[in-house]
Amino acid sequence: MKSDSDENITFSHPLEVEFARILNYYQIEWQYEPRTFPLQWDERGAVTQAFSPDFYLPGQDLYIELTTLRPKLIRIKNRKIQRLQELYPDINIKLFKRSDLRDLMLKFGLDEEAAPIRGTDAQDNGR
Amino acid sequence: MTTALPPQAYGSLYADISEILFTADEIAAKVQELGRAISEDYAGRNPLLVGVLKGVVPFMADLLRAITIPVQVDYLAIASYSAESRQRGTVRLEKDLDTSITGRHVLFVEDMIDTGLTLNYILRSLRAREPAGLEVCTLFNKPRRRLINLPIRYKGFDLPDRFVVGYGLDYREQYRNLPFVGLLRAEVLTR
Repeated sequence: MKSDSDENITFSHPLEVEFARILNYYQIEWQYEPRTFPLQWDERGAVTQAFSPDFYLPGQDLYIELTTLRPKLIRIKNRKIQRLQELYPDINIKLFKRSDLRDLMLKFGLDEEAAPIRGTDAQDNGR
Repeated sequence: MTTALPPQAYGSLYADISEILFTADEIAAKVQELGRAISEDYAGRNPLLVGVLKGVVPFMADLLRAITIPVQVDYLAIASYSAESRQRGTVRLEKDLDTSITGRHVLFVEDMIDTGLTLNYILRSLRAREPAGLEVCTLFNKPRRRLINLPIRYKGFDLPDRFVVGYGLDYREQYRNLPFVGLLRAEVLTR
């Protein structure tokens, strides 16, 4: 089951709440932002850029980052994930894009939750 | 060649499709291929094919007829996550199997696997009943969206990360009756 209680977590987006509920429903253990990965350091060794993936599934050893950004704006996030994979090659991470989240919500009939992330870009262009 | 009607025969349903990804003939050929492999691998083992209602119905019906060895079939129904069911907190079995699977060779048949959340839950439940074997056959697969790593013995087609319908796959319970699989027009999703 879940390894954290929803009540003690401050999610940064309503879709993260829904995603956590879905994991709970299917009895998948999860953690919310359990680890921050330094990505960049200054000359004195201080961390100047870091990345905390949204979810971690211990049973799958998998980090999941959710994003509701439109495809055109996703470049920075992609760069961070690419950098993370270069620096930490043993880490498994999956990006759930806007269209992935939209399809997930639509699949479960959650029209209200899908409404803010509806768009035509991904369905038309496959991005 | 299948006896499927031409796509145009599906009128307004077909009008909502922007692109056909797999024609009825392509699907039929793949189902025959899967049926042949299953018939060879399960010869002499009288497998029980198990599916979850409702999306799997067209695939199960065709796959059964492509299998040439003695075989049985049974169905489960579960309440998927939804605005209503989330209040209950966890998955509820709405229809259990009519057949005991203990000691049986079970082949779990899926129309599509994407996140793997539902399948993982069902496989856990089936394993607890101690079948002699439990394998998975899916016609469609969306590997990039997989959250739960699951072994798939028989696999048909990989699908792109877009909303597809037809041959059992639905949007708001529609389009399941299309004999092909296609991309839903973006404007349908925004209606």
